[in-house]
Amino acid sequence: MEKEKHYIITTYTENQVGLLSTVAGLFTRRSINIDALRVFPSGIPGVHKFVVKTTTSEAKARAIVLNLEKKVDVIKSFCYVDNEDFNKELKEVADYIQERENNNN
Amino acid sequence: MNQEQMTGSQILLETLIAEGVDTIFGYPGGSIMPVYDKLYDYQDQLRHILVRHEQGAIHAAQGYARTKGFPGTVIVTSGPGATNVLTGVADAMVDSTPVVVIAGQVSSALLGTDAFQETDLIGMTNPITKSSYQIRKTEDIAWAVSRAYFIASTGRPGPVVLDFTKDAQVGKAAFKYEKCNFIRSYISKPVVDESKIDEAVKMLDASTRPFVVYGQGILQSGAEKELTDLLEKGDIPAGSTLLGLSALPSDNPHFKGMLGMHGSIASNVLSQQADLILAVGMRFDDRVTGKLDTYCKNAKVIHIDIDPSELGKNVPVDLGIVADAKDALSRIVAKMARKERKAWLNSDQHCNEVEMQKVIIPETQGTADTINPGEVVATVAEVCGQDAIILTDVGQNQMLGARYSRFKRSRSFISSGGLGTMGFGIPATIGAKVAALDRKVCLFVGDGGFQMTSQELGTIMQEQLGVKLVLLNNNWLGNVRQWQELFFKERYSATRMINPDFEKIAQAYGIGRVLVEKREDLRPAVERMFADDKPFILDVHITEANMVFPMVPPGKAVSEIMLNSTEWYK
Repeated sequence: MEKEKHYIITTYTENQVGLLSTVAGLFTRRSINIDALRVFPSGIPGVHKFVVKTTTSEAKARAIVLNLEKKVDVIKSFCYVDNEDFNKELKEVADYIQERENNNN
Repeated sequence: MNQEQMTGSQILLETLIAEGVDTIFGYPGGSIMPVYDKLYDYQDQLRHILVRHEQGAIHAAQGYARTKGFPGTVIVTSGPGATNVLTGVADAMVDSTPVVVIAGQVSSALLGTDAFQETDLIGMTNPITKSSYQIRKTEDIAWAVSRAYFIASTGRPGPVVLDFTKDAQVGKAAFKYEKCNFIRSYISKPVVDESKIDEAVKMLDASTRPFVVYGQGILQSGAEKELTDLLEKGDIPAGSTLLGLSALPSDNPHFKGMLGMHGSIASNVLSQQADLILAVGMRFDDRVTGKLDTYCKNAKVIHIDIDPSELGKNVPVDLGIVADAKDALSRIVAKMARKERKAWLNSDQHCNEVEMQKVIIPETQGTADTINPGEVVATVAEVCGQDAIILTDVGQNQMLGARYSRFKRSRSFISSGGLGTMGFGIPATIGAKVAALDRKVCLFVGDGGFQMTSQELGTIMQEQLGVKLVLLNNNWLGNVRQWQELFFKERYSATRMINPDFEKIAQAYGIGRVLVEKREDLRPAVERMFADDKPFILDVHITEANMVFPMVPPGKAVSEIMLNSTEWYK
């Protein structure tokens, strides 16, 4: 099995009712969890932006992007491997909490 | 421009006519009644075929679309009318068939209240359509309908669903029609990357054993000539997917038969021996590739498809080209070197001899008391001069219909491929005949699939459509029975069928029917069937335990081929 990593998938769409379920459906069908989701106006008039954080393989992440772009109302979709520092940061916080609890002071 | 105020229903019908629609397959009901009322005034411009069940409407529209190369149109009511078309919508999606479904919906004020015959059609169709859209305003109708036909018929074609609220149907607005030919978020025809064409030409010229695998994309882009030119210029053999059949005439020397599970031995063996696979307008379905990690391991792969998400989806590609098949092939043909590869082109003789002796002769020249289904298909091909539009249902009838039919003209084979929808046959045949009244249209269907949509015999009767229904009747669900015999220790669970008296059914609908039980009666009966242009049921009682071979069993490489229950291809 391919190694799983965090990916950030951003998608720019027309402002169309029901697109959220379309976007979510593409993940559901492939049994990929959405770890985080944000939807907001992109800054370009009439264009919405979806940002999805997910944990999957690179092949699946790329397939999601291509299938998002296949949707008529999707303008563009991009995929980024999650920033390594982001995970370091998370671990640092977790370690910090652990340390605090262990020392209990 | 006409600024006259019209009702939404009239705007819909005017837009359909402007888009070139001449036929509607449909069924009326509460939420679509304003449209049907207006249709009364448009009977001379729009032919409405009243089906007996909405599933029949969508499959008929699919048969129409695939015969004509123009989107099929379906009008149904909300709720059950809409849910009854879902199977066909899913079928059209996976087989890339252009259809537009216009479904009534309750008034927009009632949406979400569980009103009578309200369903969330957009929610249900989202994953199985190319696009679905709810029309809630009369002013949006012309725009939404024109857009639907544009989306359905361009790019990789597919189904579009319009959920049409009743208040939009009865509201009034000016008719402002403008043909849609651009959507900024949608690419209808990709721009071909010429550097990739150059790379493909280089790979093709360097190859000693190239093999072309093609699919329905050839038919949909009208690339039959370009494909023929490519094969001739490079002495290249080619295999077709199920849905690509009839893109090349059956007697084209480059055509090596159908690919995959029940394909020809030659096509499957050549795809494993090739050093280059050029795939065009096809999607490497698992029925075509067999066990994926053993498929064409000796070959480099060039994949041309209009849908970027298909490239590398199943088979890793060395070169992927996003393009319309006709566009890409014509560029490749212009640049490629003329090459002689006769030895490679004709290297399939052993395959063909084995297939002829071990499979084709036993199947089509039976000697037992009962008739083999393959004999029936071959006889039909002979009698109709290899020039009928052949449809199949799903199962053994489909594989034999595909294997033993012969084609001269393109767009002459229609079957439910990706979804494998039993019951597709009878209604799809109705649609094909409506689209090609001047041609012979013939269906091969099993006794199982026949009974799934046999209510459409009523439509055939009412419209007096000269369709020829060949019932390959063995009182079994034959394909499942075959798998039970081969892979489930002969445990025949729920595959035996007690059938009705088909004679009486045919009689009730006023459709001619002949029963054939003996070999000597077969040919005269087929000749009788094609003697006129009236509907006809040919009920052939076939060998009960007949099995379709050759067969690449599930999970095997495509070069591991069963010739019969005991022998394998060597």
